[in-house]
Amino acid sequence: MMSRYALWVLLAPGVGFLILLFGLPLGMALLTSIGLGTVGVNTGFTLDHYAELFSNSIYLDGLRYSLFLSVVPTLVSLTIAMPLAVALQSTFPGKKLFSTLYRVPLVVPGIVAAFIVMILFDRGGEISRILKPLGLGLPKMVRDEWSLGIIIAVAWKAVPFMMLIIGGSLASISTDLPAAARTLGANRATVFWRIELPLALPGITAAVLLVFVGFTGAFAVPLLLGPIYPKRLSVWMYEASYQENNRGLASAMGIVLSVIACAVLVIYYRVTSDLRNAAGGEVR
Amino acid sequence: MTALPATTRTTAAARTEGLWLSIGLYTALALTLVAPIMVALLWSLVDPKGGWFAPAIVPNGLSLHHWRAVGLDRSLIQSIVTSVLISLAVTALSGMLALPTAYALAKVPFRAKRAIEMFILAPLIVPGLIVGIGIGTLFFRVGLAYSIPGVILAQTIGTLPFMIRVLAATMEAIPADLIHAARTLGASPFRAGMHIVVPLAWPGFVAGGMLTFVSSFEEFEKTFMVGAPTVETLTVKLWAVLGGKVMIFPNAAVVTFILLVPCVLIFFLAERAMRNDGALAAGMGKL
Repeated sequence: MMSRYALWVLLAPGVGFLILLFGLPLGMALLTSIGLGTVGVNTGFTLDHYAELFSNSIYLDGLRYSLFLSVVPTLVSLTIAMPLAVALQSTFPGKKLFSTLYRVPLVVPGIVAAFIVMILFDRGGEISRILKPLGLGLPKMVRDEWSLGIIIAVAWKAVPFMMLIIGGSLASISTDLPAAARTLGANRATVFWRIELPLALPGITAAVLLVFVGFTGAFAVPLLLGPIYPKRLSVWMYEASYQENNRGLASAMGIVLSVIACAVLVIYYRVTSDLRNAAGGEVR
Repeated sequence: MTALPATTRTTAAARTEGLWLSIGLYTALALTLVAPIMVALLWSLVDPKGGWFAPAIVPNGLSLHHWRAVGLDRSLIQSIVTSVLISLAVTALSGMLALPTAYALAKVPFRAKRAIEMFILAPLIVPGLIVGIGIGTLFFRVGLAYSIPGVILAQTIGTLPFMIRVLAATMEAIPADLIHAARTLGASPFRAGMHIVVPLAWPGFVAGGMLTFVSSFEEFEKTFMVGAPTVETLTVKLWAVLGGKVMIFPNAAVVTFILLVPCVLIFFLAERAMRNDGALAAGMGKL
């Protein structure tokens, strides 16, 4: 058994680093958002920044748009990734190579994904050039009000990520279970809905959650591909902080975004532990 | 004996199905991955004399002009050096900080473990932009703003949680008996750590280290918040090329490939080092 002292010595480098460089800045952002910051104008305690955030329609639009841009790409990616993850469980020629190649977008920087969307989907981009002789055209997809370009860029990176995580969950299901169900007369769809999906649910929720929160604070892709209005809250935050030097407002936006991200995380823990209890510990 | 033809038929059917699946998946891959990269490659090879204007489907001429220009662009070479140095430092720092903490999480039972694990995950959940802004303020006060050490520290916030989780997952597999035996035979905790834990956790170090390198190499948001405009990594450079008033696609395409090629190569090496998805899934998948 290890002494308490030794334990803290072991934990200190990693946890200490994160307290100092993650916990502290986050705490400072919280203080700045309520007017107690140490940089800029010290106004004393105030909720003005939050009041401005929640009363100004441009920021409310930004918040709504942020949620739209978190929910829609996540759902689109899940719809594409789920069947692919299932398909990857079966054997086919060239499976090994495919399993490596499909992951390439995982390491492609978001800005590069944005660039690729520009050269392909923008007006005058490659796809519209190819379609033009056929008499077809693309709708506006870059800087458009539905943010199709952003959704494509995010999904392009998120689909392989989800396939990896969900595939991992599916692969850890013992092959006996689906085989037994098939022997007992269940068809493929039943096996998927009644066995594979429930058992893979922790992986699916993890994948959904990581994609959902992973993009909440991104501002490079939305700034490059997004419409002029509305802007994501993270883009407003960047502008408030760096162009208008309004740290209080920027911090308030940051705290709201963090609270949303953490709320999603708590819901996730609730849901998965409920599932675990419901399945009597069968589900990891 | 009657079952045999039936089985053969099912195998044949399964093989045909596998073939179709393979064709479908590879077509999808060609359209979504290979084709876009080919278009980007064409952009990087555009001959400035001919240009590439709509509605031309391929450029009016190909040349290595923009690639050659890279060799002459000192700021771009400077960006490459900066990016590589920062990523190496982030990888080393993450590995050193993660080692003892991952060991404690993997091998020492203690009460607050769940809370500590959640805290370590938090940087992956809280948007990097907020941390970036907070840390920008903090670094400004201690003189680390707009400096390479500041960028290294800021990036490590994002990579450390991943490294800790990958290492902890690898260390869980080390038999506790080995460590006990070494201790019984008189090895100090430090010696036992260096001679047993580190070698046995080495695959985790390699895989986690390579992925850390890649995620540092492609990091943009925190680097930009803390380092720009003084510290210009490749992603910051690409941002400057794309986000500026005049977008120069051929230049952006060249920077894209300089960013992409090392990331993809190291990623493939890391995949081989891991042999299976265990570490990666443990690092990311199981929250």
